[in-house]
Amino acid sequence: MKMKEKLLNLKNNKLFSRYKGILILLVLAVFFWGVFKILTPQNFGSWENLFSYMQTSLMYSVGACGFYFIIIMGLFDFSLGANIVLSGILACIFSYQFGYFGLIIAPIICGTLIGLINGFLYTRLKIPSIIVTIGLLLIYESLGSVIAGGKVQILDKQYQIFGSSPANILLAFFVFFLASVLLKYTKIGTYTYAIGSNEFIAKSMGINVNKYKIIAFMLLGFFAGVMSILAVSYGTSMAAATGMATMSRNFTPIMGCFFGVAFKKYGSPILAIVIGEFIITIIFNGFVAIGAPTTIQNVVTGAALLIIVALTARTVKGVIVK
Amino acid sequence: MFRFSRINEKGASFFKNNNVKKYAHVILPLVGLVVIIMIFGILTDMSILYWKNIKLILNQAYVLMLASTGVFFVMTIGGLDFSQGSILGMASIVISYLSFYNIILAVILGVLTGAAIGAINGFSNAKLKIPSFIVTICTMFLFRGVCSYLTTSSPVYATTDISKYNTMNLKILLTVIVLLVMFFVFRYTKLGITIKAIGAGETAAWFSGVKVDNTKWLMFVIAGAITGFAAFINVVKVGSVTATGGSQLETQIFISLVLGGLPISGGAKVRFSNIIVGVIMYSILNSGLVMVGLETSMQQLIKGIIFLIFVALTIDRESIQVIK
Amino acid sequence: MSEVILRADSISKSFGITKAVKNVSMSFQKGEVRGLIGENGSGKSTFVSMLCGIYTIDRGQFYLNGEELKIRNQVEANNKGISIIVQEMGTLSGLTVAENIFLGHEDRFVKYGIKNTSSMIKEAERLLKQFGFDKINPTAMIDYYSFEERKLVEIVKATYFSPQIFVIDETTTALSKQGREELYKILNQIKSEGNTIIFISHDLLEVIKYADNISVFRDGELIDTVPSQNVEEDELKKLMVGRKLTSSYYRRDYGKPVSDEVVLSVRDVSVPGQIEDISFDLYKGEILGIGGISGAGMHELGKAICGASFYRKGKVILYNGTEINSISTAIKNGIAYASRDRDVESLVINDSIRNNICLPSLSDLMVRNIISDRALNKFAKDNADLINIKMEGINQFVSNLSGGNRQKVVLARWLGKNSDIIILDSPTRGIDVKVKADIYSILSDLKRKNKSIVIISEEMLELIGMSDRILILKKGRISGEFFRDKDLSEEDLIAKMV
Repeated sequence: MKMKEKLLNLKNNKLFSRYKGILILLVLAVFFWGVFKILTPQNFGSWENLFSYMQTSLMYSVGACGFYFIIIMGLFDFSLGANIVLSGILACIFSYQFGYFGLIIAPIICGTLIGLINGFLYTRLKIPSIIVTIGLLLIYESLGSVIAGGKVQILDKQYQIFGSSPANILLAFFVFFLASVLLKYTKIGTYTYAIGSNEFIAKSMGINVNKYKIIAFMLLGFFAGVMSILAVSYGTSMAAATGMATMSRNFTPIMGCFFGVAFKKYGSPILAIVIGEFIITIIFNGFVAIGAPTTIQNVVTGAALLIIVALTARTVKGVIVK
Repeated sequence: MFRFSRINEKGASFFKNNNVKKYAHVILPLVGLVVIIMIFGILTDMSILYWKNIKLILNQAYVLMLASTGVFFVMTIGGLDFSQGSILGMASIVISYLSFYNIILAVILGVLTGAAIGAINGFSNAKLKIPSFIVTICTMFLFRGVCSYLTTSSPVYATTDISKYNTMNLKILLTVIVLLVMFFVFRYTKLGITIKAIGAGETAAWFSGVKVDNTKWLMFVIAGAITGFAAFINVVKVGSVTATGGSQLETQIFISLVLGGLPISGGAKVRFSNIIVGVIMYSILNSGLVMVGLETSMQQLIKGIIFLIFVALTIDRESIQVIK
Repeated sequence: MSEVILRADSISKSFGITKAVKNVSMSFQKGEVRGLIGENGSGKSTFVSMLCGIYTIDRGQFYLNGEELKIRNQVEANNKGISIIVQEMGTLSGLTVAENIFLGHEDRFVKYGIKNTSSMIKEAERLLKQFGFDKINPTAMIDYYSFEERKLVEIVKATYFSPQIFVIDETTTALSKQGREELYKILNQIKSEGNTIIFISHDLLEVIKYADNISVFRDGELIDTVPSQNVEEDELKKLMVGRKLTSSYYRRDYGKPVSDEVVLSVRDVSVPGQIEDISFDLYKGEILGIGGISGAGMHELGKAICGASFYRKGKVILYNGTEINSISTAIKNGIAYASRDRDVESLVINDSIRNNICLPSLSDLMVRNIISDRALNKFAKDNADLINIKMEGINQFVSNLSGGNRQKVVLARWLGKNSDIIILDSPTRGIDVKVKADIYSILSDLKRKNKSIVIISEEMLELIGMSDRILILKKGRISGEFFRDKDLSEEDLIAKMV
C-alpha cells in the first residue's frame, strides 16, 4: 500500500510531471548508451567519447531548434541543407577577408536572407511549403556551386575556435537560450503555436499570419547560419553540392525536431530537442563503433526517421493524411 | 491609373472564366513545350532538331517516362513519392544479378522488388498514416544506403549480352505498351476514376464507399512496380549499376510532372498528357542545357527557376483550402 | 435606453453565387437585449459575423455611436468594444488559458519585445476570480479543460473589457443548464452596465424570456422587429418560415399505415461519449425522423447506422441478416448516407457533377471492366434531370453550385444507385425555400416507391411535417417516440429534448 501511495503522490507532484518528459529522454539516452557499450566496450562509450558525441549533437540541435518554429506551424523547409552549405561556403570565404567577424556575420546574414526569401516566396506565391522549398533548394545549391567555383572551401586554421569546446558549446547554448526565450516570452512564440493550432481562428484574432510565417522562416535561416558556423568549424571546410545532395543534411536536425514536437506537452521542447539529438548521435556512433559499414549510415537514418515519425505522429481517426 | 485598373479587372475576369481555367492545365504546358523547343532551337542553331540529337534525347526519356507514369498515379491521389530513384537502383541491381540466369525471371523480380518497396511506402502512408513525403524520403535514403552497400566493392554488372536488347525499337515498344496500358487504366476503369475522386475529395470518396486506404496502398505499389520495369530498360542501356544508380530520378520526375501541368495536389484536373508533355519538355530542357554548354550548377539553377515559375502558374489554389 | 448605439445600413454579403445577407438595415439601442432569430441559412450569423470582423462586408456600412465602423478582424472589433462568442470552439489548443484570454491583445504585457508572462497570469487570475470561475487555472493548457469550461474561458475573453456590444451566436444550445446560468448572469451584468447584447438562439422561449426586442431573419433579409413582451411563439414561427407554413410544402397525407416489414434493425448501438444503447427498427416505406438538440447524438447515430463510425459498439442488421460494419458494405447493400457536412463528406466539390453522381455506382456501370465516358454521361444526365438540378451541364464543377443544388447532386447520386434505405442528415440545412420544397417532394416520391428514409434534423417543423414516426434523442439516448399526427406540435417534441 505504501509503495502505491508513494507512486501516486509522485505522479501528482507538479514538479515531477513537468520533468517527466525530460526524465523519459534521459532514460532513453542511458538505455542506448548501455546497448552499444555492452556490444563493443572498447570502441565506445567512454567519457571522452560521450563528450565528443555531445559536441557533435549540439550542431544538429541548433538546426533542429530553428526547424521547430516551422514545423509547429505545419510548414516544411527542405532547403535547410542547401542553406547550411551556402552559408558555410560564404563563412569560409569571408573569414579570409574579415577573420572572425566574417566567419560569424556572413553565414548569419546569408542564412537569414535565405529564410526571408523562402518565407516571402511561400506567402506571395501561395505554393505549399514542401514544393517551394524543393525548388529553392535546387537554386541555392547551384548558387553555392557557382560561388565556390568547384573548389572545396577551407576554413583557415587560425579561425577554428568554434571547432572545439568551450566556444562551440557557448555558441550553441546561446542559440538554445534565444530559442527558449522566443518561444516562452515573446509574441512570436505565442503566435507560432496559435497559427499551428488553428490558422483560421488565429487570423480572425488579428494575427498577421503571413508576417509570422515569414518570421519563422527567417528564424530557421538564422539558426541554419549558426549551424553552418559550427559545421565549417568542425569539418574545417565546406564543399558545394548539387543534385539534391544537400538533402542529407536535413535529416538529423529534423529528427531532433520531432523529439521536440513529441515532448512539447511536457513544457520544454528545446531541452527535448537537445537530448533527442544526443540520443541520435549516440546511436549513429554506436553503429560505427560496432563496425557497421559507412553505407549503413543512410539505412539507419532513413529507418530511424521513419520510426520516430511513426511513433510520434498522433493520428486522430478520420483526419486526412496525404 | 483608372484605365490600368480597368484592364486589370478585365484580365482578371478573363482568367476567372471557368473555361479558360479548365484548359489552362493543358494549354500552358503545350505552349511551354513549343517555347522551349523554339528557345533551344535558336540557341543551338537548330541542331537540337537533328535526328541524332533527338535519338539521344529519346534515350534519356524512356526510364523517366515510365517512372513518371508511376508517380503520376501517386500524385493523382494527392500523395508524393520521392523514392523512385532508390527503387530504380535496387531493381537494377536485382535485374543485373539475375540477368545471368534468365532474363524474363530477372525482369519479373525487378518489378517485384519495386513493388515491394512501393508496398512499404504504401503501408506506412495508408495504414500508419505518416505523410507520404516523409515516408518516401525515408525509404529513398534507406534503400540508397542498401544500394551503396551492395555496390561497395564494385559496381554490379549485368551479363554482357544483355545489350542485345538495347535497340531503340524494343525500348520504344516497351515504353509505349506500358503507357497505353496505364492510360487505359486511368481513363476507362473504375480504379482510374476512383483515384481522381480520392485526390479531389478523400473524405467524400470514403463516404461514397471507396476503399481509400487500400487504393492508396495500391498506387504506391504500382508506382514501384512500373519503376521496377523501367529498371530493365536502365540496365539494358547502361549494363551495370553503381552506388548512385538512379539518384536524382525523383527530382527529374517531379520537375517533369510539374512542367507537364500536373496539379500538385492531384484530383480531378489531372490529365494523362501531363506525363508525356512534361517528360518531353524536361528531356529537351535537360539536353538543351547541356548542348548549350552550361555547367551543371547553372543547369540546375535554371531548372529550379523554371520549376518554381511553372508551379506558381499551374497550382490549383482553390482546391487547397489551407496552404501549408 | 432610447439612444441608438449601432446602426446597420443596407448590409449585403454573398459567398460565390449564394446571397447570404441581402440589404439589411436595422438599429440597436443602448442597453438593449436584441434577440435575432431565423432558420438555418437565414443570414443572422453572417450578419453578426460582419459586425464582429469575422467576415468582410460586400456592401453597406455599420455605424457605431454615429461613426462609420471600419474593422478588418476580430481584434480591431474588440478594440472598438464589439465582441462575440460562437457556437464552435473559439479557443486555441496548445496555448494556456491566460494566453487564450489575451490572444491578440498581448501588447499591454509586452515591453521591449518581451512578454511579462507573470503579470499576464496574475491579470488572468484576477479576471477569472471576478467572473466566479476560480476553478480554472490560468497557467494550465486549455486542452486540459472540457468544451464547456473552454466556453467559459471564451466568455471571459470576450467580456472582460466591458464591450459596448456583445454578441452571443447560438452558444446557449451548446451549454449545460449550469453553463447557461453562468451566461445569463453575465448578460445581466453587461446590461446593468448599460451595454447592448445581441442574442442569437434557436430556443424561441429563451429568446422571448431574455430579449427586449426580437428581429426575425428569413432568406438573408430582415423581416421584422417585434417587442418580446406578449409575443407568442407561433407568431415568431410564422415570421421565420413565412407563408409557407400554410401552403405546407411538407407531406399532406395523414393516417396511412406504415408496413410492418422491417428493413433495418439497430440493436444496442453505442458510441462512447455520444450515444448509448440505441435500439429501433426501420420499416419498409417509412420516413423515420430523428430529432434532438444539437449535441444529443443524432448526427453520430446517422454515421453509426451506415458503418461510418469508428468507435461504434452494437449491431446494425439488414433485413436479410447482413451486418453493416463499414460504409462499403452499407452502400453495396442498398444503404445511402448524406452527411450534414455536405461539402466535405458528401460531395467532392472540386470535381464535376457527373463524377459526383456516378461515384458509388461505378461498379454498376462497368461493362467487362471498362467504364465508358458515354455511360457515365448518360447516367449522370438522367439522374440530374430527374430532380431538376440547376446547372450549366454535367461537367460543371460542384463548387459552382448553390447549396440547394449541391444537395440535389447528392440526392441524384443515391437515386441513381437505387438505394432502398436513405439516411439524410440535415437535408435542408442552409437551403432556400424553393429548393426545400423540391427536396421534400422527392422524398415523398421515394416513400411512394417503398424506399425507407431516415431524416436526422434539428428543424422540428421539418420532422413533424415529413415523418411517419419521430424518435427524440436526449443526451445520447432515445427519450421519446411520436407518431404522425396533425396535432403534433413542437412543444411535444421539445418536452422530450431537454
